[in-house]
Order: sequence, then structure tokens, then C-alpha cells
Amino acid sequence: MKSFAEYNPIVITVWFFSVTGVAMFCSYPLLMLISLCGAVIFFLMRNGLSHGREHLFFFILFLILALANPLVSHNGKTVLFVMNHNPVTLEATLYGVNSAAMIIGVLYWLRSFTQIMTSEKLLYITGALSPKLSLVLSMALRFVPLFSRQSAKINNAQIAMGLYKDDNIIDDIKGRSRVFSILITWALENGIITADSMEARGFGACRRTQLRRFRFSARDTAFLILTLLLLTVTAAAAGAKSLSFVFYPSITAEKPDLLGIAGLITYGLLILLPVIIETEVSLRWKYLRSGI
Amino acid sequence: MLLIQSKKMRSIIKAVVPFVLIPSITIAGAVAFDEKKHIIIALASALSALLLFSAGFEKRSTGTRRMVIVAVMIALCFAGRFIPFLKPVAALTIIAGLYLGGEAGFLVGSLSALLTNFYFGQGPWTAFQMLAWGLIGLFAGILSKPLLLRRALLLMYGAAAGLAYSFIMDIWTVLWYNEGFNVRLYIAALGTAVPYTVSYAVSNVLFLYLLAPPFGEKLNRIKIKYGV
Repeated sequence: MKSFAEYNPIVITVWFFSVTGVAMFCSYPLLMLISLCGAVIFFLMRNGLSHGREHLFFFILFLILALANPLVSHNGKTVLFVMNHNPVTLEATLYGVNSAAMIIGVLYWLRSFTQIMTSEKLLYITGALSPKLSLVLSMALRFVPLFSRQSAKINNAQIAMGLYKDDNIIDDIKGRSRVFSILITWALENGIITADSMEARGFGACRRTQLRRFRFSARDTAFLILTLLLLTVTAAAAGAKSLSFVFYPSITAEKPDLLGIAGLITYGLLILLPVIIETEVSLRWKYLRSGI
Repeated sequence: MLLIQSKKMRSIIKAVVPFVLIPSITIAGAVAFDEKKHIIIALASALSALLLFSAGFEKRSTGTRRMVIVAVMIALCFAGRFIPFLKPVAALTIIAGLYLGGEAGFLVGSLSALLTNFYFGQGPWTAFQMLAWGLIGLFAGILSKPLLLRRALLLMYGAAAGLAYSFIMDIWTVLWYNEGFNVRLYIAALGTAVPYTVSYAVSNVLFLYLLAPPFGEKLNRIKIKYGV
């Protein structure tokens, strides 16, 4: 029993890339609706009702994106009204709404992805691709707090020596740039020492190891296979033009054939997978607790 | 995993990846496909960056030292992205390219885009940012001789890099929003991005003016002292 965020990072990444990838390649309106709703539900499920500001930002962005297209593009047959001698058409408006739904949906997915994929998981994935790249990234991450601490130390030392006061702007800027310059020299020297020390301790002698172990359990395998299966059907439906939707010059929606319907259903299932997992986990947790 | 043994192969990759592979993938992916294949572009350009990386950092003992210096530069870029209004990432990337070579510049630019986006939001635009900043660093490395000789030229390069960055990112904005490339949307996007463009160009010039000479002195000192 483990929640979605505890699955193997590779599995989570594959799932996120499948969901967002389909949403970006295929612009079928119903698919966009599924993607947007799924993304919002997933985000709400993880964060509850907090992050009100983010929701507001996304909502405003949605409106801007939806309205931008009809103001710029004047394709389409059905003219709604004329503004500044430019026709505003129904088709362009709907196209804008569709694009906005796609972009906001993907933005919501990526927000959740950024929350779930901590930098540690990123290093796990890049470590599998290239150990050296993973090392550079992890060192850079480690340097950020180190540098900020060191610059505070240098700053204190400079003030204690009476080298600058921060009540005078010019003096302040001069002093801070001196602190920055000292920090750079220190950082470079420190980096070389770190590198030598790493070499001395046998860096590069064998594969990089991880602080946390990410096992590939049976559940991970099952989830991965299920994701790929569902993705295949959806991608086949999108690739075989079963889900085509033409906006210009006038909206022509062919009724989706069997493959298209199957694609929509599998995409919905794909999005629901983590919701199912979370529900199962919480139900089981409640059941176990009731037994105590 | 990605270690390339033959030296000839490495030099071929070094020439082909940045000049042929990455731009052609980006352009082909964006224009030739009538649908949106940005994930493919993203993956391809990230993978090409990886290839370039392994091609440059092959030799082990000097490799570790250079790697750590690159990590230091990435960490500085990371901290720099938190400065409001000014954006020193491109300037630091250019400095890395100038003094440590084109590959290091490419790495600093592309990896800091990858890393900082874990805080500023990861997305398909990451690949474009990686590409834009990476190329800015790479060209700084290639043009390092004339740029180091004349300071005015360096500042001009910084301003041009800021403009180019904005232009590249707006191509991406339009392609994502609209299927296919629409000139009017592109101009509209450029129009709304004017404050950003100005901020990029100004901060590049400002930071290059302030940082390039002292930074270069320090990097050169490290290079001479430790033979990086």
C-alpha cells in the first residue's frame, strides 16, 4: 500500500509525460475538457482548498488566453460582431477557448508534477541517464544553501571589521559587490577542493548511489504497464485521426468512431489512475484504523 | 552510461550536436509536423545536451574539477534568478562560455534552466529555455577571442543575446498556443513581452559590464593555479 507520490519516480514521470503529452498533441475539445477537469481535480485532491492565489492566476490566464485568439485571428465563417473594423468570429473564439483549456490543463498537471517530483527524484532519474550530469545537478543544488550561508558569514565579518555600513546606498552597493566578489573566489577555490576530495575518495569508481532507495515493486510494474497500455490506445486514436476536429473555416466535428471513443475512455481512465490509487489507500487506511 | 571513448567521435559530436542536430530538431519539430510535437523536441534537445556533456567531460581528472566549477556557476545562476526584475542568468552563462569554453557555457545555460524550473515551474518551455540559454553560452565560447578583446563588443553581444532569448521564447509561445506559426500572433506576443525583453537586454549589459572583468580574473586565476 503506497500513495501515488511514493511510486517509483520513473513510473510517475512516464505517467505525467503520457497525460500531458496526449493533451498537447491532440486538440480534440472533449479530450481537453477531460484533461482540464482531471488536472484540477488532481491538484485539489493533493492540496485541498489552499493555493487560492494560484487558482485565481490560472483563471485569469485562462480568460486572457481564450480572448486573445478572436482578437488576433479573424478566420472563420460565423461573424459574431465587428470590432475596430475587424470581425470577431465564433470559430476563432472557440479555438481560443480550446487552446486555453489545453494550456491551463497542462499548467495544472505540471504544477502537481513539480510538487511530486522533488529534486531527489530528479537526481534519481538523471542518474540513470548520465551519472556525471546527475552529479553536477546535485552539487549545484547543494551549493545554493552553502553559498547563501557563506555570504552571510562574509557579510557579518565585513560589517564587524567596519568596512561598510548599509545606511548609505552607494556604500551599501560597494560593500555588497565586495561580499559577492569574495564569495566567488571562495566558491571556486572550495569547488576545486571538493573535486580533489571527491577524487581521493574514489569518485567515478562505481555507480552513483542514492540516499533514498527507490525500489521497483510489483505495484510499480503493474502501474507502468497499465499506463503504457492506456496510452497506446489513446495515442492510436489520436494518431489515426479518429479524433479530428476542424475549427476553420467552419466547425466540422465528425462523430468519433469506435477507436475514437475507446481513446477518450482510455484517456479518462489514465487520468483517473492516481485518483483510484489514493481512494484505495485512504479507504484501506480507514478500514485498518476501524479494526484497532 | 553515456561515455564516448573514441576522440574522433567526440569531436564530431561536438560539432554536429549544437549546430546541426538541436536546431534542426527544433525547427523540424515545430514547423514540419502540423500537429504539436513539443515533447519530442523537448526530449531530443535535452538528450542532445546530455550528449554534448559527455563529449566534453570525458577526461576524468580534469573533468571532475571542471564539472565542479560548472556546478558553482549553475548554483550562482540559480541564486540569481531570485533577484527581482533583473536576470543575471544569461550574463553568467556568457561569462562561463567566455572563460571556460563553449561546452561549459552550453552546460551552465541549459542545466540552470532545467534546475531553476524546479522552482519556477517545469514545462515544455523548459526545453526551449535550455536551448536558448545553452546556445547563448555556446556562442559566447566560440566568439570568446573577439569578445574578450573589446568590451563594447561583449556588451553588444549581451544585448543581442537578451533580444534573441526573448524572440526564441516567443516563437515557442505562439507555437504552443496556435497550431502552426502565425505572424500576427508572434508580433502580438513580442509586443506583450517588451518589458521582459528590455529587462533581459538591460540586465545582460549591466551584469556583463559589472561582472565580466572581475569574474574572468578569478576564473583565469583558478585555471592557471589548478590547471583546469
